[in-house]
Amino acid sequence: MQQRARVSCRRGAAGIAALLLGGCFGLMESDGGGEIPPPGARRVDPGDVVVAPGYRVEVVATGLTFPTGVALGDGGAIYLVESGYSYGEVFTRPRLVEIARDGRGVIREIASGRHAPWNGVAFAGGALYVAQGGQLEGGRVVRFDLDGGARVLVDDLPSTGDHHTSGPVIGRDGWIYFGQGTATNAGVVGTDNHDYGWLARRPRFHDVPCRDVTLRGANFETGDPLTPEPGDRAVTGAYVPFGTATRRGQVIPGRVPCSGAILRVHPEGSAVELVAWGFRNPFGLAVAPDGRLYATENGFDVRGSRPVFGAADPLWRVEPGRWYGWPDFAEGRPLTIDFYAEGGGAPRGFLLAEHPGRPPEPVAYLAVHSSAGGLDFSRDAAFGRTGDAFVALFGDMAPETGKVMSPVGFKVVRVNPETGVIEDFARNGGDKNGPASLVGGGGLERPIAARFDRSGRELYVVDFGVLRMTDAGPVPQPETGVLWRITREAAR
Amino acid sequence: MTARARRWIAAALIATAPLVLAAVAGGCGAERRGPPAAPSVVPAAVEERRGERLFFRFCYQCHPGGGGGLGPSINDKPLPHALIRAQIRRGLGEMPAFPDQVLSDEDVDAIIAYLDLLEDSPAATWER
Repeated sequence: MQQRARVSCRRGAAGIAALLLGGCFGLMESDGGGEIPPPGARRVDPGDVVVAPGYRVEVVATGLTFPTGVALGDGGAIYLVESGYSYGEVFTRPRLVEIARDGRGVIREIASGRHAPWNGVAFAGGALYVAQGGQLEGGRVVRFDLDGGARVLVDDLPSTGDHHTSGPVIGRDGWIYFGQGTATNAGVVGTDNHDYGWLARRPRFHDVPCRDVTLRGANFETGDPLTPEPGDRAVTGAYVPFGTATRRGQVIPGRVPCSGAILRVHPEGSAVELVAWGFRNPFGLAVAPDGRLYATENGFDVRGSRPVFGAADPLWRVEPGRWYGWPDFAEGRPLTIDFYAEGGGAPRGFLLAEHPGRPPEPVAYLAVHSSAGGLDFSRDAAFGRTGDAFVALFGDMAPETGKVMSPVGFKVVRVNPETGVIEDFARNGGDKNGPASLVGGGGLERPIAARFDRSGRELYVVDFGVLRMTDAGPVPQPETGVLWRITREAAR
Repeated sequence: MTARARRWIAAALIATAPLVLAAVAGGCGAERRGPPAAPSVVPAAVEERRGERLFFRFCYQCHPGGGGGLGPSINDKPLPHALIRAQIRRGLGEMPAFPDQVLSDEDVDAIIAYLDLLEDSPAATWER
């Protein structure tokens, strides 16, 4: 009798646990990594960063303001960009600097200016190539000499919306490849874009396809934040300005440069060329040892007129000319399946009447809301894991981009591009995942880029710094950015 | 109902309350206690290796490393395989169903084998 009762109890408890495994999402508050009270001054301690055995973490520079990218030059020179902008509509001065290898911090400022956010830098042939996001002025790709002389290679990129110009990386062919994000979450300008700040500045801005697309005529009714009357309504379709309806069969002309694409330009200057499209925000680009181009994509958010639930951040192998699914597919799957509808709501319908192809399967499915950022491939046996991708995960921006049950990201992961297997490579110690400002200690906050030096023996990790998520939106903390270096003990 | 039966039920409720509470706490608990297990998992058996690939295709994005993320942790729930199988097949709450057009019975068994591996793995092989 007692034994039967124990078995019964265990089954009952297990059953309740099973029910709650899936059912408790709706019961719990969001628990994102940025949902914290204002922290004190950032403490930095590499001893609080956990890495695989045999690897060592060092601090290269601290006190950086919104750093987003690093490039390694001749003789071990370290170049870094500070963005000059953060979500939360905080503008500072974007700049390109050289960093001392020995921890002394910024040695000199090479360039500064406008067109923030500066979202990454690459080095080739004695020059630096910076992707300038251009939240206010439009995106650009600019070539800088090491003495600061500048030449604009590309201007007026469609970058004044949610997502910006990013990358860049030097391809095997010597061209500069860069990412261009979309204006919106899912193709339709909505009140979320007003919350982000840009809709009031640019009420006519919207996404632009790279090729002609034909619409199904789906329109979305929302409040109208552009008028003073609180009860005003607006109807908006895809690829058009806020408050503009579309009709079935309407053709939206494509052009280059466009939204949600990987583009390229010659280092001496050329017309912009399309590489691949149908991305939402292809933030990180890298060339694998075999010469193939890879990109991370920040997947859909649960916001706006067309919220999408549960979309991962894919790692893509980029095939020239291919369409990767945005705005109707996530991670290679159609948005029309139940999977992407939160709370048993109706699945999303397609925006496009015909699709430019069937998107491929991703190389790997990084965690939902992990904000996959810059990446690089190991190519030196002394560092190890040759051929694997090391991806910086900025971390969730919950609840603004969607609720999570635990902090997601805030680490560097290692991805086997052949199997799609993902393992943590560098993260904070302790029993809870999250940024140091949440879990305590002096470890990682928000890794946004990872890049090897030219020898392949040093992995540099750019840490954006503290970014809190509040009811009023993101609140970034200047001068909390860090540049980390990870090496393998035997390779030193 | 006799007084004896009522006493027995009361005693049973008292005895099972901690288990029920533990189940509630465990079910909604979003974090595995201790470092994530992902780095120390080395699938050896064919089924575990198959399960690993499927896990990273269908499960990891909501349960990274088996821990919490968009969804709850699944590397610390000693559930009967039948319940895991039922939840994969039917979905629950925000978790989608994975019908046999998406995952075969052998696929589901392989995922469960990999989840067993995650649950059993020593978590603290990393150095601080």
